[in-house]
Amino acid sequence: MFRTCDITGFKVDLQSEKLIRYNAVFAVISLLLAVTAAILLVFTRYQPVHLLGAEWYYRLVTFHGLNALIFWIIFFEIAGLYFGSTVILNTRFCSPRWGWIAFGLMVAGLVLSNIIILMGKADVMLTSYTPLKAHPLYYLGIILFAVGALVAVALFFGNLMIARREKAYGETMPLFTYGLMTAAIIAVITLASGALIYVPTFLWSLGLIQNIDPAMYKLIWWGLGHSSQQINVAAMVSIWYMTSFLAVGGTSINERVSRSAFVLYILFICLASAHHLLTDPGVSSAWKVWNTSYAMYLAVLASMIHAFAVPSSFESAQRRWGYNKGLFQWLSKAPWGNPAFSAIILAIIGFGFIGGTTGVIFGMEQTNIIVHNTIAIPGHFKGTVVIGTTLTFMGITYYLIPLIFRRKIVGFKWAKWQPWLFFIGIALLSISMIVLGQLGVPRRHWDSTFSGGPFTYNFNPAVDFFWALMMLGGSLAFIATLIWIFIVVISVFWGPRVNGPQDMQLSISPLAPPAKAHKGFEAPGTLVLTFIFLLVFMALFFLNWKWLAATWNVN
Amino acid sequence: MSLFSPAEGWYDKKVSKDEKMWMVIALILCIAMFIWMIMWHVYGKQNPSSTTYRTSTAEFAKLGEAYTKQNMIGTDNGIPVVRPQPNSDVFLVAEMWRWSPALILQKDQAYKFHISSKDVVHGLSIQPVNMNFQVYPDYDYVLEFKPTETGEYKVVCNEFCGIGHHTMIGKIVVIEQEEDLKLYGYENFKKAPDPLPEKTNEPLSEADMSKLGEQVYTLKGCGACHKTDGTSQIAPAWNGLFGKEEEVIENGKRTSVKVDEDYIRESIKNPQQKITVGFENTPMPVFPVTDEEIDQLIAFIKTLNN
Repeated sequence: MFRTCDITGFKVDLQSEKLIRYNAVFAVISLLLAVTAAILLVFTRYQPVHLLGAEWYYRLVTFHGLNALIFWIIFFEIAGLYFGSTVILNTRFCSPRWGWIAFGLMVAGLVLSNIIILMGKADVMLTSYTPLKAHPLYYLGIILFAVGALVAVALFFGNLMIARREKAYGETMPLFTYGLMTAAIIAVITLASGALIYVPTFLWSLGLIQNIDPAMYKLIWWGLGHSSQQINVAAMVSIWYMTSFLAVGGTSINERVSRSAFVLYILFICLASAHHLLTDPGVSSAWKVWNTSYAMYLAVLASMIHAFAVPSSFESAQRRWGYNKGLFQWLSKAPWGNPAFSAIILAIIGFGFIGGTTGVIFGMEQTNIIVHNTIAIPGHFKGTVVIGTTLTFMGITYYLIPLIFRRKIVGFKWAKWQPWLFFIGIALLSISMIVLGQLGVPRRHWDSTFSGGPFTYNFNPAVDFFWALMMLGGSLAFIATLIWIFIVVISVFWGPRVNGPQDMQLSISPLAPPAKAHKGFEAPGTLVLTFIFLLVFMALFFLNWKWLAATWNVN
Repeated sequence: MSLFSPAEGWYDKKVSKDEKMWMVIALILCIAMFIWMIMWHVYGKQNPSSTTYRTSTAEFAKLGEAYTKQNMIGTDNGIPVVRPQPNSDVFLVAEMWRWSPALILQKDQAYKFHISSKDVVHGLSIQPVNMNFQVYPDYDYVLEFKPTETGEYKVVCNEFCGIGHHTMIGKIVVIEQEEDLKLYGYENFKKAPDPLPEKTNEPLSEADMSKLGEQVYTLKGCGACHKTDGTSQIAPAWNGLFGKEEEVIENGKRTSVKVDEDYIRESIKNPQQKITVGFENTPMPVFPVTDEEIDQLIAFIKTLNN
């Protein structure tokens, strides 16, 4: 059963649409759970308030991590994979029945794990490093969720096969779906690592296996933990390309380059498990250097290629629309009133300047010594997963509400500035966490006054300022997330129906006119921006190495 | 176009000048960073070591205890203090929830640290110099540290290790001259500690027993949870404990017991039998202590008044 979209002209499989909706709804529920815990955690670490007791603090760190990094992200990605493999390819869903089975498994996993955590039977953090042991049902919940997600990824590949056999998309797969396919391949590797470690750990928690080696556990667990965030990267970059198309009618200025960069992701990005073992015993320096650099930084190269290719796709299209004056008219005349557009631009900036720079620097073998397990690490991944992925997902939802849920966005004025508020909040939160970490503050730590310990330690007095800034940023981001959730829930359940293009609040741009032949640079503005990025990166790079050189000698 | 098949000829389209330029710069940067890490091993002074020995929690606990017992020159807030010789092996034990021993190091001298855990995974974080390493059970990580600045350093645990994680904090003092010891109140630590009573056929006096008990308390790490200054965040304090009436939970029922020798003996051997009210969330594990050591601990507890 298909409907033809009266706005975009795509053929939409109604079964697929329903699956997309349900997965998206559970993504939003997971996000709500995650941010509720997050705000309580922020006000616990902010020492003047110190809201929760130690027990509930650690419990909610576990809860927050699982819901934010796994449930929210993966539910949304599954919705995205279904969207990219059916709607965009004008094709049907290969097996709706299995789609519901996958969904059921994932929901069961979410409910089970969360209940066990809240019952206090799994205060082990998301990482659950052995020999810390949780209740067997906690591990079982995650296994159920992972199996469900794996089935969903298999269905994505099934959809691709049907589309290819039925020649639903012409000669070449669209770039957006190509990027999602990259994400799906990384997801298979990730979920396989997850099975490899959670199944024996589950058996160990039941007493059927004697011992889980803690170093082996950490190595394989991060094959899940880090690689799952690489699914995000691929999915997020795909959405960036899609937004360029929807908002300004743009496309990658060279699709071969963009696609090659996705291939580099597939080949190298899953080595990143090593980022978490740089200051660990058991693995040699040669192993660390090779793996942490994704084999000579070839996955970083891929991200840097996208860092040019994505903004230049906006720039090139805008220039063809006639916004050709100077270096940056294409940017000043961009559709800033479109919340999906502004969200994605802010996500790109945050991901690059905060998450990307710190990610590469903290992930170098030696500089990791000065940040490992400090609060700078969550600060870094607030920059990647929260500003990058989450803000991207929030932004694209503003398109999904009218196109997939067929509802108008209620409170569109709020939607226009929600991405800005969220960006400012998380940027403050993330940067203050990074600074705190550089001052030595540990992550996942209930009391930085060390009450009850034999000694105490006073951090650099500057931390007080950054704790306050972190609290402020966290609060702003919390409010921005609630606004987004309210907009989404009210629109989806009670919003006025969309009956055609006249009801679209966000514009869908026609394709930008073809380029006139010209010599010289295709995207000079983007080139300048990438050079600014390079300068910032170099400054942070040398600053961190200077700090490292000032520490004790160790080898 | 990202939602449609790309236009005809996309595969043969030439890469624009600016994109090509950026890719070349990016590639150079990537290779340079890779080489940088390798060169730091040659010219840099901070490189995580590749030396690891396989051990077991029991073996490393024994090694650490023997090392501390032999080299201990005093205690600081219940933590044994050791002043290792330059270039010697140092055994630093991580456990729930303490770092043992505290160390006195000489500036610009190298020490070969052996670091491992007696229980779960911990995180070694030396502040304010901000150096961080992972600590595992079953793996003895060998790191050669050479402190380059004098001062008082704290060892924070930055890997979650249970409810008392935030109380896990150790100490390293780096000195240049002997007088520096005064800054930390360690000036009396220079000489060897008082010899402990020798075992004879005669039963030991209560005072001698208590002295031995105090050593067990320090070495086995009882003080990580049981304080002697009246604070009781994780476990009941030991001062004023003997002879006290305690509210406990036994088989799910709340009763009252008098803290006597039998009760203490039972609580050490089978800590889950009677759990003191207020400490239900921090259950005590079973520690490998002998009956003789338990008697010494009891003698020690008896001497601790309010």
